[in-house]
Amino acid sequence: MDLNILSLASALASHASARQQVLAENVANADTPGYRARDIKPFSELVEEGPAFEARRTRPEHIGFGDELHGFEPEPSAEFGAETPNGNSVSLEDQMMRGAEVRQEHELAIGVYAKSLAILRSVVAAR
Amino acid sequence: MNEMMRTMAAAASGMAAQAARLRLGSENIANADTPGYHRKTVSFEQAFDGAHDVRSVVTGPVQLDQSELARTLDPTNPLAGKDGYVEGSNVDVLVEIADAREANRSYEANLKMFDQARQMASSLLDLIRR
Repeated sequence: MDLNILSLASALASHASARQQVLAENVANADTPGYRARDIKPFSELVEEGPAFEARRTRPEHIGFGDELHGFEPEPSAEFGAETPNGNSVSLEDQMMRGAEVRQEHELAIGVYAKSLAILRSVVAAR
Repeated sequence: MNEMMRTMAAAASGMAAQAARLRLGSENIANADTPGYHRKTVSFEQAFDGAHDVRSVVTGPVQLDQSELARTLDPTNPLAGKDGYVEGSNVDVLVEIADAREANRSYEANLKMFDQARQMASSLLDLIRR
């Protein structure tokens, strides 16, 4: 069994919690003049971009290592038309939608992690 | 896990700021009929909370609205000036109520974020418990 799925699930969970933090910052500043909403790229995009760096393996005995993914850097994410006259671009409804996404993402990650552990356990128990 | 604490710190700062705004609004409404009362306002500023490493929100200093007080002609009033006008307050109750509604809505949004972070943290802890 490839244990990569565990690291993938844990990366998804940390992506969800990093994103949740950015969303909470947006909501806290929902009435701050001049504040620009931010968000982190979707996990699927980050996975497709691949690792930020990876060690070259010149011999088959080498153990590969590298960054799992790019860091979860927040970037501006203004919804079109959300800007208010005081320069704030946070839309509470939009943030709630994103919050629901984050929640699903997190539950998926934890579900996959727990399930993989359960499968591992049943494999070990069968011996 | 640490991000969850930061999330809660950000949401808590938002709730504190909205609560301060709501409190000033209720002070204004309570004093809507106080002669010579200037309505209090507060500004929101973005802050970087170094202790929690999070971009939170703080309220600025309380300011008095310097717009003109409402003046009514009532020469028999003991508070009337030489010209017979009485100065009331510059509180517009409708504006205060609208502001309170908005504060309420933002407070709830922060509360929702806080609760979601709490639930995410507890489901993460459930993994260990299994």
